[in-house]
Amino acid sequence: MTRRAPQAPGFSHGEDVKNPTVRYERASHAESVMGTVASFAIHVDSIGNSEITSAIECACKSLHLADEMFSTWKPNSALSRLRRGEISLLEAPVEILEVIELCKLAREVSQGWFDPWRMPGGFDPTGLVKGWAVERALGKLRKPGICGAMINAGGDLVTFGKPVPGQSWRIGIRDPWNREAIRCVIETTAAVATSGTYERGEILLDPHSGERACQLASATVIGPSLAMADALATALAVAGDPGMKWLAALDGYEAYVIRLDGSEVVTSGLLG
Amino acid sequence: MRRIYIAVASTVAGLAGVIGLHSPPSSSLLPARAADGSAGPAKARSPAQGSSRPGSAPPLGGSRSPAHTALSGSAQGALERYGYGQLAVKVTVAGSRIISVSVPQIQVADSYSGSIASQVIPMLRSEVLSAQSARINGVSGATYTSEAYDMSLQSALDKLHFK
Repeated sequence: MTRRAPQAPGFSHGEDVKNPTVRYERASHAESVMGTVASFAIHVDSIGNSEITSAIECACKSLHLADEMFSTWKPNSALSRLRRGEISLLEAPVEILEVIELCKLAREVSQGWFDPWRMPGGFDPTGLVKGWAVERALGKLRKPGICGAMINAGGDLVTFGKPVPGQSWRIGIRDPWNREAIRCVIETTAAVATSGTYERGEILLDPHSGERACQLASATVIGPSLAMADALATALAVAGDPGMKWLAALDGYEAYVIRLDGSEVVTSGLLG
Repeated sequence: MRRIYIAVASTVAGLAGVIGLHSPPSSSLLPARAADGSAGPAKARSPAQGSSRPGSAPPLGGSRSPAHTALSGSAQGALERYGYGQLAVKVTVAGSRIISVSVPQIQVADSYSGSIASQVIPMLRSEVLSAQSARINGVSGATYTSEAYDMSLQSALDKLHFK
């Protein structure tokens, strides 16, 4: 896989990267990781340029470490070794145990539609790990002086704070049939994850049959945790309409789906 | 289930406000549309029936061509004939809300779905890609590969941020 050379963070105002006393209102960065690109948008009140750069580097490092640990493509990742039985759960990194616990929870609330234990090739938490990793990386940006930040990893994103004082994060949901169009805008205080098969970065499997399956053109889940939202969006895309029932029952989570015929359905919480 | 369908109805109504606000009326294009037999409520059917919609989506960058501008005019005409109201959905619950919704595909004849999708593009470009009024902060969608990132709306937003 080709890997994009990491770009230096971009700053929106007062650009003088060599002068650490200059303060910036916004910083951006795009990092190639986990087979996609993680976009950073950081909104700053009062923090030095070098501190932002180091926070971004720290977050990127966290993403790459998660990738190294959980990649099912890399034969030496901890997950691959666990799958082959070369290490036991007791020897596995604590991060893997944490992800396993989250997977159990996601399997339970999705009534089995998210089930990493029923994937071909053994335990495969990919549908949750990206969200988990991005959420963890965002934690590295929670610093005094940073009033809000978003990391968007290939279409699954999580935010904290505000983009600008008094404003909420506004997230466009992509049209499944047109990469330049959005279907709607959703305001969020935390996580938004979307699943579908119209891009090449996602393969959806039905845990019951083990075969490729996608009942919806696009399934978006909004909620407090990106790890859960990521897993539940995957589950919902595979489950289709019936999945809206268990999703609507979850406290704090809402869904917006676009069916294969183009029609749209939302959980009632999004319409109020 | 009933509750959900009611929700969809208001979602669709919300769209008309969006399109109505952002696209200039272009009634001059309507006769051509009607003449080819593809327009009109009587012919409306689910896009799922014999639709090749994914293939009919305009190519990347197509929104800048005059042809698509024309198409969006005819789509607006179709919307008027379906009688959607000018109502914007704007509600708040638990920190998440839908502000506006676009493209009522289910109500539209096959031949219109592509053109309505393309109509959203100029709206998006003007809203998102103008530095002063970037009204969305991010775009959520199915995971793109690192190779496809350059074509994504998020990358356009990132470029805007880098400026």
